[in-house]
Amino acid sequence: MAKNDATRREFLVRTIVGAGAVAGAGIVPDAYGQNHDQGKQADAAPHAQQHRAGSEHGAFFNHDDSLTVAAFTDRLMPSAPDKPGAREAGVLNYIDLALSGAYADLQYFYRCGLAQLDAHCRQNYKQSFVHLESAQMDEVITALEQGKATEFTWPSAQDFFNTVRVHTIEGMFADPIYGGNKDFAGWRLVGFPGAQAIFTPTDLQNKQAFLRAPMVGLQAVAKDPMRRD
Amino acid sequence: MANEKTDIVIVGVGAAGGILAAELGKAGMKVIGLERGPRLKTDDFSPHDELRYFQRQDLRPNVKRLPVTWRPNVNTRATPLPILNYGNQAGGGTVHYGALSWRLHEDDFRARSQTMERYGASAIPQDSSLADWPLSYADLEPFYDRAEYELGVSGKAGNLQGRKINGGNIFEAPRQREYPLPALLPDQSGVLFEAGALKLGYHPFSSPRAILSQPYNDRSGCTYCGFCQSFGCHVGAKSSILVTKLPEADATGNFKLVTGATCYKVNSDNSGRMTGVSYYGPDGSDNTIEAEVVILTPFIYDNTRLLLLSKTAKFPNGLANSSGHVGKHVMAHLGYKVFATFDDRFVNIYMGPSAQKHTLDDFNADNFDHSGLGFIRGGQISVTPADLEAGPIGTAISMSPPPGIPRWGAAYRDFFAKYFARHAGLMAQTENLPYPDQTIDLDPNVRDQWGMPAPRVTYDWRRPNELARVEFLVKKLEELGHAMGATQVWRTPIASAAPGAHHEGGTRMGSDPRNSVVNRFGQSWDIPNLFIIGSSTYPTMSGFNPTLTIQALAYMSADAIATRYKNKPGPLA
Repeated sequence: MAKNDATRREFLVRTIVGAGAVAGAGIVPDAYGQNHDQGKQADAAPHAQQHRAGSEHGAFFNHDDSLTVAAFTDRLMPSAPDKPGAREAGVLNYIDLALSGAYADLQYFYRCGLAQLDAHCRQNYKQSFVHLESAQMDEVITALEQGKATEFTWPSAQDFFNTVRVHTIEGMFADPIYGGNKDFAGWRLVGFPGAQAIFTPTDLQNKQAFLRAPMVGLQAVAKDPMRRD
Repeated sequence: MANEKTDIVIVGVGAAGGILAAELGKAGMKVIGLERGPRLKTDDFSPHDELRYFQRQDLRPNVKRLPVTWRPNVNTRATPLPILNYGNQAGGGTVHYGALSWRLHEDDFRARSQTMERYGASAIPQDSSLADWPLSYADLEPFYDRAEYELGVSGKAGNLQGRKINGGNIFEAPRQREYPLPALLPDQSGVLFEAGALKLGYHPFSSPRAILSQPYNDRSGCTYCGFCQSFGCHVGAKSSILVTKLPEADATGNFKLVTGATCYKVNSDNSGRMTGVSYYGPDGSDNTIEAEVVILTPFIYDNTRLLLLSKTAKFPNGLANSSGHVGKHVMAHLGYKVFATFDDRFVNIYMGPSAQKHTLDDFNADNFDHSGLGFIRGGQISVTPADLEAGPIGTAISMSPPPGIPRWGAAYRDFFAKYFARHAGLMAQTENLPYPDQTIDLDPNVRDQWGMPAPRVTYDWRRPNELARVEFLVKKLEELGHAMGATQVWRTPIASAAPGAHHEGGTRMGSDPRNSVVNRFGQSWDIPNLFIIGSSTYPTMSGFNPTLTIQALAYMSADAIATRYKNKPGPLA
């Protein structure tokens, strides 16, 4: 798929509706494009203002930790042209908000995990995680996943990896109201239309991607109760 | 601090408690129901939110405040389970369940006799406490019928008074009449499953569910939105106790629901008669209800815990426990999954009622010949999303990628982006046998927010009979995936030893007070004015989901209490 299409879609989503609202009907989720050639206009729109990757925090993480979490989650769910990843989805923002609220009991878990991650990187690479090459970051993450990072005691390397992975999934795919899945980046990636109130018998028999209705987010439903059913 | 008097006090107003509240209220008895969670409304369930309800388990007990611990055997220290699969509000698990509504098979009620007759006594593992139920399918059939019609269950009969009907479950026990509502429409995963299963000579059908396929009893029909398991229904089409029996109970004028009430003790006098219960209110207050009859209907952990916590000089081993069987013979379903992906089409499994959508019953119960297989009893095979709900969070967490694809990074991203809407899960829900050393007791180390010992489960399903069954069924799942036309089919890693969903046992029913806790009506052998009703009374579990049988038993017990016990209190058996 041409890069322009993705850029144009991003532009449309951000300027017309904004996060947490309803994506316009003409917008094709990225995954849907796998067998649908829609929206191929050549008019590249000016790129909407980018949020600075790694800057979306403030509720819990300090600056250094925010950079580490942004880099780590970016390797777990990396971006590619037409494929929004953890940075585009705002996974850092999601985790930052969650740790200051619903997951406040995991603050110490993250503090210790990040400190051990830093110790592991300095021991083996003489520098912190954010300064490693991508391939080195992947080596580190693999060591955590396999429980081979000996600098970890509590949380264990595997527990820390698994927790960050689950939180990355949540930040990618939870409703944008929680601070991630920005502009439905995660839902566009996989082709999930959000909480549709109804699927018709025709929808149920469709062997193609679902395109009948726009994506629905929680804020749009809360503002307009008529959408509920 | 409140002190009230009533005829009946019910602890836990869920699948069983809601039915008892309505039926006993209709019989003119004064009923108070204690519920530790809130009473929610249909309007509370809109909009649907996967993070809140699936991932953060908003309709289930908070594992930090109300922990349940688990250990695989007595030599290990128990640790809190990370997820609790039961309800924590009025309506209990029926609010968030997938609404699968099965009648058990005739041989499910006589698993021991059936096995001995067909395969000989040596087929039963020596350490299993496999037992017959103290009632037959025929005894329960009228109450299954009542539950299906009063609550609203959608399905297609496969055995109408002995006449087998294709398109329904031909392995089901004979039913007197058709379901009240036609079967729910299949989504694409159901269509694929049906075609694949027919190709292999099996007998697939749309799973019967307590979800309205059409408007019924002034309630609207299903919108196929896909948010069932883990979620409350936003149109009230799921036949939960919230929208079925609680309004009936209210209408009797004899029912009072107390929410935010945590029962911590069943009270008794020196004669051994139950006098009522004590509970903590949401403000920490200590309250008492005096009642003629105490009915325990919480999830299975809590009735064993209450019986043990309520011990007295007269009942030093806990209430209803002269047999010593309270807390024993605990069972739980294992849901083993295989995934199938399709390169040539979308499946969109997130559409339609989410749990165990289409079923084949060919390898459940004793529906197939087990000779030479090395195990007894079977499992239900169904097509289902990764975690019985189909949002991207649950799918990403529960759908382990195929061999060769890592769990993170660009390759994982591409795998998940491509197959989220192009996959189907195949699941075997297995009937694990009862064993006396699979138990619930009081954890000596972990306490809940009220300072009460947490229920502690000692359980490990990985026994020779169970492992052989899983391996047999997994091969069937793989075969099905290929018959469905999948591009790739793969197994998930073998599950941990921990208990899965649908717990049964702990207060098993029987026909002999020496080896069971309650009689067929859930009445304690030791204490006639104490009833325990729910899946904790199941002697065996079957491969089917337990709820409709819980509900049929509740109707049967309510009938016995209203027509017999009310006039002549005493043993019912």
